[in-house]
Amino acid sequence: MSKRRKSGRRRQARTVRIVIFLVVMLFVGLALFPSDKRTASTSSTGSVTENTVTPTAAPADAQTAAQAAADQGVTDQAAAQAGGTSFQLSDVPAYAGAPYVAVNNNVPYFSDSDMQATSFEQYGDLDSLGRCTTAYACIGQDLMPTEKRGDISSVKPTGWHNVKYDGIDGKYLYNRCHLIGYQLTAENANEKNLITGTRYMNVEGMEPFENMTADYIKESGNHVLYRVTPVFEGNNLVASGVLMEGKSVEDNGAGVLFCVYCYNVQPNITIDYATGDSSESGDTGAADQGQTNQAAPTATQAPQPAADANQTAAYIGNANTHTFHRPDCSSVARMSDKNKVTFSSREEAINAGYDPCEICNP
Amino acid sequence: MRVIVAVDDRGGVLFNHRRQSSDRVVRRKIEELSEGHALWMTKYTASQFLTLPEQARLSEQPLRDAGPEDYCFVEGEPLLPYKDDMEELVRILWNRKYPGDVFLDIDPEECGMVLESTEDFAGYSHEKITMEIWRR
Repeated sequence: MSKRRKSGRRRQARTVRIVIFLVVMLFVGLALFPSDKRTASTSSTGSVTENTVTPTAAPADAQTAAQAAADQGVTDQAAAQAGGTSFQLSDVPAYAGAPYVAVNNNVPYFSDSDMQATSFEQYGDLDSLGRCTTAYACIGQDLMPTEKRGDISSVKPTGWHNVKYDGIDGKYLYNRCHLIGYQLTAENANEKNLITGTRYMNVEGMEPFENMTADYIKESGNHVLYRVTPVFEGNNLVASGVLMEGKSVEDNGAGVLFCVYCYNVQPNITIDYATGDSSESGDTGAADQGQTNQAAPTATQAPQPAADANQTAAYIGNANTHTFHRPDCSSVARMSDKNKVTFSSREEAINAGYDPCEICNP
Repeated sequence: MRVIVAVDDRGGVLFNHRRQSSDRVVRRKIEELSEGHALWMTKYTASQFLTLPEQARLSEQPLRDAGPEDYCFVEGEPLLPYKDDMEELVRILWNRKYPGDVFLDIDPEECGMVLESTEDFAGYSHEKITMEIWRR
């Protein structure tokens, strides 16, 4: 019995030595062949180009790739690749009234080897323009906050302006927008995790995904692999949007699975993404000069509640059921005013996520 | 028929074919509420219960199969075709904003229902959950 145990221990020690040797060799390999060289070698197969290859999503590599892209002058494509993806901003439809849009069929770009139920959090270094790169974490309950959020006003992300407009919730156009929300990893004034984001993107775009992830982790005790990559066009100081990816680990995405692009826009405000300057839509000022992409966020009017909606609108939506109706539909007569939203066209209603009523068939 | 559904601030129920949220305190409330009646649900909904309550009945079309006195716990099944069969609606509000692509497709007020009671309670993973009971 004791001999068998000793020989078992010897075998165990040998296995440990072999594992340590393999790990050391892996690190030596990584040092000799940095990520850009490995990418080039993949490209040489001819099956993929340098622009679309998906680099390894191992956290350390992601950071290296992020920094490499940053040092070369980041494009939207390269910035997204830094997150370990082959996401391209040109694949994203122009903003059409919804704060986010699913990309890659809502499937994140994580690889199977990323799916480890061990908590970690990594925030990519700022690029040469001082912009955030990728924030990546495997979030478990152990990373979540145990106290109230601290002051983050000391951080001035690129493109930051303190500017107010009437009609914006809280008045301020910009928030210091956490890439990984405080409720998930308890990061306070971490400059690698805060970008200049509109109130609309923060609250309507990103926060719902943070809420869903946080509540799932609290309820299940499971982990969620979570990555947020801000997407900057050219040398713009304000991101056009963020790519958000999430997948629950222990149940392999059965609980949480998303891959979305959140638009960094504010309805009725035009933003110059090169500088962060802004103006109310309709102004003929210098706004929007930095935009070249089709996703240029010329702010579209979000659906607004209207008390006398029946008389003036082409279609009436119900904010509760997300169904839209003809103004003379019997459902509209019974609808509470507070639930009514108006649309000038069928297309506008559908783009805002509303379904046509099955009674009046608008 | 009595229908139970959980929604977020925007009336959302599902996102990317997955429930927006769940809470063990809500499940316990549903078990208590439906005691003595059949509680119909799909296999997907049943998957959120660690142990299925005795009264649970599984069906891929719970709204079709439920009797007049039965409860149906639904997650994304369209209610509009059954609005006239619905005597009671238990609407659970997460009081949170989640992403959504499937929404509750009826407004109880529009269906001629009246809000009979409202109860706030703390969940296991939610600060404040509201349970509304609407009756015809």
